[in-house]
Parts: sequence; C-alpha cells; structure tokens
Amino acid sequence: MAITETGRNSDARSRFSRALYDARIRAIVLQVLTFVLVVGTLIWLTNNTMVNLQARNMSADFGFLDVSAGFGIGFTLIPYQEGDTYLRVFFVGIMNTLLVAVVAIVFATILGLIVGLARLSNNWIIGVVARSYIEVMRNTPLLLQIIAWYFGVFNLLPRPRDSVEILNGLVLNNRGFYLPAPVPETGFAILMWVLLTSVIGAIALHIWAGRRLEKTGKAFPSILSGIAIVIVVPTLAYAFLGQPLSWDVPVLQGFNYVGGMSVPPSFCALIVALSVYTSCFIAEIVRSGIQSVSKGQLEAAGALNLPANWTLRRVVLPQAMRVIIPPLISQYLNVTKNSSLAIAIGFPDLVSVWMNTSLNQSGRAIPIVAMTMGFYCAVSLSVSAIMNVYNKRVQLKER
Amino acid sequence: MTKPGRMIEIVKLNKWFGQFHVLKDVSLSVREGEKFIICGPSGSGKSTLIRCINQLETHQEGSIVVDGVEVDPKGRNHREVRSRIGMVFQNFNLFPHLSVLDNCTLTPRLGLEMPKAEAEEIAMTHLSRVGIAEQALKYPLQLSGGQQQRVAIARALCVKPKIMLFDEPTSALDPEMIKEVLDVMVELAEGGMTMICVTHEMGFARQVADKVIFMDQGEIVETNEPNAFFSNPRFDRSADFLSHIL
Amino acid sequence: MPNDLQVFVPAPDRPAPLDSTGVVGWIRKNLFQDIPNTLMTILGAYILFVVVGAVLNWAIFNAVWSANSRRECLDAVGRSGACWPGVFVWFENLIYGLYPKDQVWRINVGFLALVLWMVPLWMPRVVSKVAIGLSAVALYPLLASYFFLGGDKGIIWTALIAAGLTGLIWVWATALSETFKGKTIGVLVVDSLGQADADEARQRLTRRLATLAVFIVACLIISSLSFVEVRTRFWGGLFLTLVISGIGITFSLPAGIMLALGRRSNLPVIAMFSTLFIELFRSVPLVTILFMFNTMLPLFMPAGTEVNQLLRAIVAVCLFAAAYMAEIIRGGLQAIPKGQYEAADALGLTYWQTTSQVVLPQALKIMIPAIVGNFIGLFKDTTLVSIIGLFDLMNMARAIGEDTNWLGLFIEPFFVVSMIYFVFCFAMSSYSIGLEKKLAAGRDR
Repeated sequence: MAITETGRNSDARSRFSRALYDARIRAIVLQVLTFVLVVGTLIWLTNNTMVNLQARNMSADFGFLDVSAGFGIGFTLIPYQEGDTYLRVFFVGIMNTLLVAVVAIVFATILGLIVGLARLSNNWIIGVVARSYIEVMRNTPLLLQIIAWYFGVFNLLPRPRDSVEILNGLVLNNRGFYLPAPVPETGFAILMWVLLTSVIGAIALHIWAGRRLEKTGKAFPSILSGIAIVIVVPTLAYAFLGQPLSWDVPVLQGFNYVGGMSVPPSFCALIVALSVYTSCFIAEIVRSGIQSVSKGQLEAAGALNLPANWTLRRVVLPQAMRVIIPPLISQYLNVTKNSSLAIAIGFPDLVSVWMNTSLNQSGRAIPIVAMTMGFYCAVSLSVSAIMNVYNKRVQLKER
Repeated sequence: MTKPGRMIEIVKLNKWFGQFHVLKDVSLSVREGEKFIICGPSGSGKSTLIRCINQLETHQEGSIVVDGVEVDPKGRNHREVRSRIGMVFQNFNLFPHLSVLDNCTLTPRLGLEMPKAEAEEIAMTHLSRVGIAEQALKYPLQLSGGQQQRVAIARALCVKPKIMLFDEPTSALDPEMIKEVLDVMVELAEGGMTMICVTHEMGFARQVADKVIFMDQGEIVETNEPNAFFSNPRFDRSADFLSHIL
Repeated sequence: MPNDLQVFVPAPDRPAPLDSTGVVGWIRKNLFQDIPNTLMTILGAYILFVVVGAVLNWAIFNAVWSANSRRECLDAVGRSGACWPGVFVWFENLIYGLYPKDQVWRINVGFLALVLWMVPLWMPRVVSKVAIGLSAVALYPLLASYFFLGGDKGIIWTALIAAGLTGLIWVWATALSETFKGKTIGVLVVDSLGQADADEARQRLTRRLATLAVFIVACLIISSLSFVEVRTRFWGGLFLTLVISGIGITFSLPAGIMLALGRRSNLPVIAMFSTLFIELFRSVPLVTILFMFNTMLPLFMPAGTEVNQLLRAIVAVCLFAAAYMAEIIRGGLQAIPKGQYEAADALGLTYWQTTSQVVLPQALKIMIPAIVGNFIGLFKDTTLVSIIGLFDLMNMARAIGEDTNWLGLFIEPFFVVSMIYFVFCFAMSSYSIGLEKKLAAGRDR
C-alpha cells in the first residue's frame, strides 16, 4: 500500500477497509485451509489404518495389556516372570531405560566435569589431551561407539572361569559385570534412620553456620563438617550395631558366578559409550559456562580482596550455573533418548522390549507406539517445564 | 623500604607483554593524601601501570612498594597488597546477580569477617555518600551507567582502602552521567583520600590533582602541576596531546 | 602559551627477560609453572604417549598389509597388529554398498556432477551465487536420481531429468559468462543474438527460446542414455549415508524455517500445529520414529501400496531433522530486535518481504554454528538406519566380519569407518568456525 494516496476521502477509506478486510479474510482462509488439510490427512490415515487392521484381524485397543506376554527378559530391575502381563513388560522397559539414563548421567557428568576443567587448564599438554578427547569422541557417531564397545570389548571378555577380577567381589567376564549385593540384617533399619538423621543434622548445621556468619561474621566450615558428620556418625552406628549389613559376594561355582548382583555386558557397553559420548558435550558446556563469567568479575573480586573460595562460591559459580544448567539438562534428556540405541546390542530397554519385541509378538502396533511415544513425551515435556521454572527464577533482573 | 609518608613508591618499573615492551623504566612516588592524574594517548600503558600496582598485572623488572609492602613480581602476595588498595573499573564490574547492597557487603562480610548488620550499616553510609542510598535493594542491571559506577565506588570504599585507583572511570558513560560520578570523586578527593586516576577528564584534573603525569609509549614523558602542565607543556609530545583533547 | 618545546626522545625498546618469554618462557608458564602443574604435564605426556603409541603400533608398525584371509593375519601377528587386507578387499563395498561393480561409475559421475554444480560458488567473479545454490537444491536431485537409480523412463521423467541437466548447463554458462564477460548469461545470449536494442518483451522471448533450445538438446541427450535399474536395496555404504544425510540436510533447512515461522505466527491454528509437530518430534528418540515409519507406514497407507524402505527412512530422518532445525531457527528469530520488524513495517514491507529480506538473513547468520552443528548431528544419526536393516556405512563395516575369509574382523573396519566419520564431521565443524569468522568480520568494527 503506497504511503501517498491521492484518492478522495471516501475512496481512501473504502480502500483501507478493503485491505484490512482482505488481510483478515486471508488469515482466516489460510487457517481454515491448514486445519482442513492437517485434520483431513489425519482422518484419511486413520481410516486407512482401521481398514488395514480389520483386514489383518488386529484391534487397536489397549485390552492386550492384561494378556500374558509369553517371553523372557534378560535383565529386569523389578521382578518379572515369563508369564507376566504386557503391562508389566512396559514397566520393566521403563525401569531399565531409567536405570541406564541415571547411571549414564552420573558418569557422564563426572567425566564431563573433569574433561571440561582440563580443557580450561593452564597446562598446555593437559589442554591438548582434553581437546583431542573431545574432538575424537564427539565426531564419531554414538551408535558406532556403542557397537564398538560391545563387540570390541565387553563381548570379548573371557569366560567366567578366566574372569578379570578388579577387586575382591568386582568381576568382569563375558556374561557381565558382577558386584556384591548388599544384604540387610537386623538393625539395618536403625542404621538407615541414623543416616537420615545425620543428613538432616548436616543440613541443620549448615543453616546454623549461615546464621552465625550473618550475626558475627565468623565463618564455620559447615560443608566439610557436614560431610564428616554424614560419614562418621553412620560408620560409628554401623560398628556399634554389630555391622548389620553383609555382602553377598559373587563366587565362582562351576562354570558360572553365583550370588551378588550383575549387569549384562550390553548394559556395560551402553553405559560406557553413553557416558563417554555425552561427557564431551558436558565438557564443552562446563567450559563455556565458566568462560561466560567475564574476566572483569574476577578482577573486581580480586581488587576487593575477596578470598578465592568465596569468589568461586558467591561470584563465579552463581553466574556460571545460569549458563550451564539449561544445556546440561538438555544433554540429560539426550542421554535418556539415546538409551533407546540399546536395541542395537540387545539390552532390554523400553524400545527394545516394548516397541520391538512386544509389538512383534502382539501385533498391537498403534497402542504400543502410542505408549512409547507417550513415555518419552512425558519425560521431555515435564523436564522442559521444570527448566522454564528454573530459568524464570534465576533470570538476572534487568530494566 | 618506603620513605616516611610515601604511600606508593615505584622505581624503574618494566613490563613486557610477550615481546612487547609496554612499560619502560617507570618511576613514580606518591605521598599520603596526594592525587595523581595519569593521562596520555591510548596504548601508552597508563592502565597497565595502575593494574601493576594492585597486581592485576605482574611486572618483570623494577620494584613497586605500597604502604611498606613490596609487590611481588610473581604475584604471590596479592592479598596483602590489595587489602590497602581499592579499584574502580571502566566497565564497573558490579556483580549482576547480587543487589546493590549485597555487592557492597559481600567482601566485608566474607573477607573481613564482619557481621551482616554492621556491614550493611557501613554500606548504607557509603551508598548515601555517593548519593544512591535509595537504590540499595535494586540490581545493577536495573540502574543507569552513572548509578552503577557510583555503586562501584561505594563498594570499593566499603573495604576501607588507603589508596583508590581509578581506571578511566567515566569513559564508558554517556555524557550526561559523567558529572555525577566526577562529583563523587571530587568529594572523595577533598576528604583526603590518596588517589591515582587514569582519565581524560581534564576539568576534573585541574580541580583536584596535585600532579599530572603524561605517559606515551610506555614511558612517563612529563610530570607537573596541573596548571603548569596545561598551559606550559615542556615536551612536543605533551603539547601535541593537549592540542587534541583541549 | 607555548615556549620552546623540548623534543621527547623515547627510550629504545628492550627485549624481554629470557625466562619470561620465548620458547623457554612459554614452556615454564604452560608446562612447569609449579609443582602440581609439573605433575600434570608428566601425566598428560604419559597418557598421550601410551595412547598414541598403542594406536600407531597396532595400526602401522605391527600391522599386516597383505594376506588372503584373517587366519593368515592372526598366524602372522595375532591380535597385536591390524589386518588391513580384509578392509582393502571390501573397500569398494564400504563406499558403494552392494551396487553392481560395473555400474559404480554412475555414482561417481553423479557426485562429480554435484561437485561441478557447486564449484561456481567459490569463483570470485560469479554474482548469481544464491540462484546457483537454489538450482542445486531444486534441480540436482532430478539429475542425480536418474544416475543412481536408472531404469525405465517415461516422457515426464525424461523431461524432469533433462531439466536437471539444463540446470547444470545453465550454472556453468552463468559462471563462465560472469567470470569472463562480466554479464549474466541472459544478457550475454541476448547480446550475441543481436537483440541488445530490442524491447523487454522481445529480449525475454529470446532468452526463453534459448532456454527451450538447451532443454530440447538435454532431452535428446537424456533419451539416448539407458541406465540399468539399480534398486535401492543395493544402495549402501558411504554412498547411502551421503544420500540420506544429503537429502535430510537439504530438506531440514527450508522445512525448519517454515516450521519456525509457523510456530511464531500470529495465526493460532498454524502456530498450534507447528508447535505440536516440533514438540512431538523433538521429545522422542529418532529410533522410535524410524521404527514407526518402518513398521507402521504400511498400516497407514491404503491397502496394497508399497513404499520403498529407503524412502521411509529418509522421510523419518527429514521430519526429525526439520523439527530440530526449527528450534534452532526460532532461537535466531528471537534474537532479532523488535526494532527490525518495526523498521520494516514503517517502510511498508509485507510479511514475506520482511521475513525473507530482513529477518531471515540475520537470523541464519547468527545461528550458523548451531545450524552446522545440526547438520553434523544429522550425518552421525544416519547410522541409526542400520537398525532397521539398511546397509549404511556402519552396517557395511559389520558385514565384513561375516565374510568367511575374514570372519570376526571387526576392529579394523570400524577403525576405518570411524576415521571416515571423523574426517567428514571435523571438516564440517572447521568450515563452520571459518564461516562464522568470515561473517563476523562484517559485524565487528
């Protein structure tokens, strides 16, 4: 619409109203068309599906969840028997996925922190080692790494009779990684209560120390003391109560190890590959978070003579965390999604056990896929929601 | 060892950035209560000089003695040195995640072991002195540049320095805010604080300075009283510089 | 009042003290500054020495370079040295999959055509780079698909392929004419046919007739070609990986732009559908989407339709990549200050003019590192198609270990494949850093 119009008043007004009318009409028409197109396509797809399902004598309801699944699962966190229902299989899959995710997240974070700090180091060689590690592991596909660790390492471990024994009770062989299982005995419940009380006590100490700092200015090493309390007190209780925790150590009997707990080699390969791969991204996140705190902040804290530990705690970390936490959580979500690659090496995570095996056995494609997608969507969206709350809270207050 | 009354004694200071000789045989002597202005073209080493005094930069040759304490060339005794010096930066460097009041009380509470109430009282005194007491609970990014710089000055004063260093404190400010910061600095000077100020604000220099130092290419070209310097520069370089800024 | 000014003689620069600069100074500062630092240097050097030494030993010094079977390698050096002959024998399969060996030249020509198409982008005097780039996206696939797929072609298909060939000819005509004659090809054609002084309509007619002539020649050339059909079942190796990631990358950028614009749209219906699509595809793992398309697509289509398995995988990858790209571009769009939109409004630009001329160029420039990062991720994600049975580069590597002659050969092919992935990904990320620097030069003064 040209800015200079030589039309008469009524002409200009009708032209203007026509243009407005046009834009609004255009918008409505476009939206209606889009709606019709998308919903129409969905209806067409659904119709096809209904027809095809009927032709194959399958149904699309959730009734099959009560039916017995009829297959075994190699590794389960919750008890599972071969005759259990499909619904139980679903939960087994979820628990396995979450187990992989949590363990991998822990290792990846620790490794990522170390590598990230190494990358920032003043020492040139350490910096080079860290950079090479990051570049190599980051530019190789994750699936490649998983398969390499599985077929190249964990599957080539010796048979149980020739196991690699790391410590007494930590055993690696081609059937898995064996650890001692904790066996609670009488008095264990009391020990747990003591532990809980110590933790609460440590927190209370920390709060008290903060108040004291405000009132008198004297600092108290509450973090170190707190850690000491949480370690020493339960240990004393443990001794006093007559050691109410014994360990079921895996022992070689015949051709196999008996006792203790174990995880299959596929689990080990998955954890190692996921941790190593994700640690590269976490290292870069940590590095950029720390580097995001401008040098001027450190100089100001230095010029003020703020002690180094307080500079870290009150100046650097709060600002670095704002930058680190959102992408870090996003990486944690990636770990959870990447755990689905377990299917390539046969570890029974949710996708492998539910979207693959159960789908093939029962043929109930639609409910199974919907439940799988539903699980991942639920995890992703709830974590995103929490992130939004966090971001709003720590936002720097500006004009 | 410093002579009596000498706050800062710099003798034949030399510094290199890599192979670049950035400070050449700089010598300087500041008595208690004196106000020095350092001016010169950009790249002359003025900021580097004052950053060497509180060990934000380390020097390779020469000696710096601050209130009886020799500044270690390898930077190992910075806590002792910095406890005597306060610094105000060109970019304010306030802590954006803390309120104005918390910015000022952070070091007294955690570094000087002061109770919170006492630290806040002292902070409010200084904040009132710089005219910003009503903004005490606001956050730095909610304030204007001039207000932020005044907070920075108050924050530095809260740790009771004997010497105040200013590194181009008004260069990052919009023109209408320069005056409010300079007024605070004038009041500080009239209160007897020992000050070294790197600045281009010549009006301020005339008002407050005991000595003006002109630096060029890492060396002190001339040192003089402000009036003498501005009307009768001794060297061609100084005259050239003055003709550009006055 | 100026009086006689003394001339200031600056003191000469002195060299820095030896122990603080130069090689010695650098070593002291970066490697041996204090005791913990020195220990770390020793540790780091030890790690490097052990790792690099082990790899070099295995891959080069102890390796077997010529043998007829794995047994021979194992007899010679056991597991301490690599057995490269297995990889050499299978190398062509690693690159081309199961493509018939006598037709492999078609793949080479197809990729060569792409390289030829893109070369003018680096020629300094060429002006129509955007048009050349767009023509590559729109027309190259037509030409390449015939080279890779082959088979019978009807009239329509021949015309489309010829359009592709015409595009290539046009690209080089443009490049040469702009480099050597400084004029666009349209102007050059009109001039050389003596129509320089004719009116606009006549000139346009001349240009169109010239294009038609080239098109007809292209049709004749294509009709004379007869390529044996190589079904997608036989596509594999690096070739397949490049096809999938190439299509994915090419699709994801425009699709991502449309989705991002849709999500930010003022029209609620469009915003809702875009948001739903993006959030759904970003929340779930790629494996589930591949599975869904692979196993469920026959259910969704009318009974009896056959959808090519490779096509299913490509659609899955494209939609997945588009959703991630949409979020990256949305981040770029959000970084554009409101003032830009307001200025464009004040100038009277329409929504599409504002978007294409003002907003998108800036948004894309800001997000280049993230966009290229997404491309790299997409390239790595193509390994997932191995899970649904396609013979991408990684699966080909595994297949080597199943050849009876080279049974169990696993680490060597994987080593080679990892190197290939590393080279591609590292090159892309270095390119993005270089591109970022070049474009930032326009930003910082």
